Amino acid sequence: MNHVKLLFFATIRERAGTKSLEVDIPEDMTIRGLKDKLSADIPGLKESMKSVLITINREYAFDEAPVPLNAEIGMFPPVSGG
Amino acid sequence: MELPTIFSITEDEIDLNDLLARITLTSTGAAAIFTGMVRGQTARGDAHETEYLEYEAYIPMAEAKMKQVADEIRGKWPVVEGIAIVQRIGKLYPKTPTVLIACTAAHRDTGVFEAARYGIDRLKEIVPIWKKEVSSDGEFWVEGDYSPKAGE
Repeated sequence: MNHVKLLFFATIRERAGTKSLEVDIPEDMTIRGLKDKLSADIPGLKESMKSVLITINREYAFDEAPVPLNAEIGMFPPVSGG
Repeated sequence: MELPTIFSITEDEIDLNDLLARITLTSTGAAAIFTGMVRGQTARGDAHETEYLEYEAYIPMAEAKMKQVADEIRGKWPVVEGIAIVQRIGKLYPKTPTVLIACTAAHRDTGVFEAARYGIDRLKEIVPIWKKEVSSDGEFWVEGDYSPKAGE
């Protein structure tokens, strides 16, 4: 299994009800698989997972990317700094 | 010589004079500075009043992406000397400066204005910072409309 840390921000943090979560996932899981798992495990996140931005180890990542071992995964809506 | 590049997320007041001094070289003759502040009254579009904005950031990634924006500026405008990119987070009230982008160069006609403009535009696209707007009508998260591409 792959032990990864999920970090939630802004609307995703509020809907998840937590800032972070550590989960064990299969070693061949992709970002898409991880999003599907979260949609199933945390009903409040189901809608958000359609438009969420994802980062792997602080770089933007996309659905087909495999989740690396012990990755830090960020999940958040489009940014609005300034 | 290493050119001064400052990038930070802070909860403290943004000190323009200090930042400007730190990006001014003996060869510097011009600085273009953009700062954004909390707008208490919005007339454009959906007119409304804002009580305060609450900012949060994915701090280590945000600072890394600010450095990337600075690197992009240097790639496009090699004449730029110093760069400062600072975002204040936390609960911020109207008239309070929230963000500052400053670029220095030898002269004003070197593209230094465009460099600062590029800096704030890119910050709003790729740097992971969010704000929640609070008004008498309630609160809502402001969301951007940019989807970063691979390699951004």
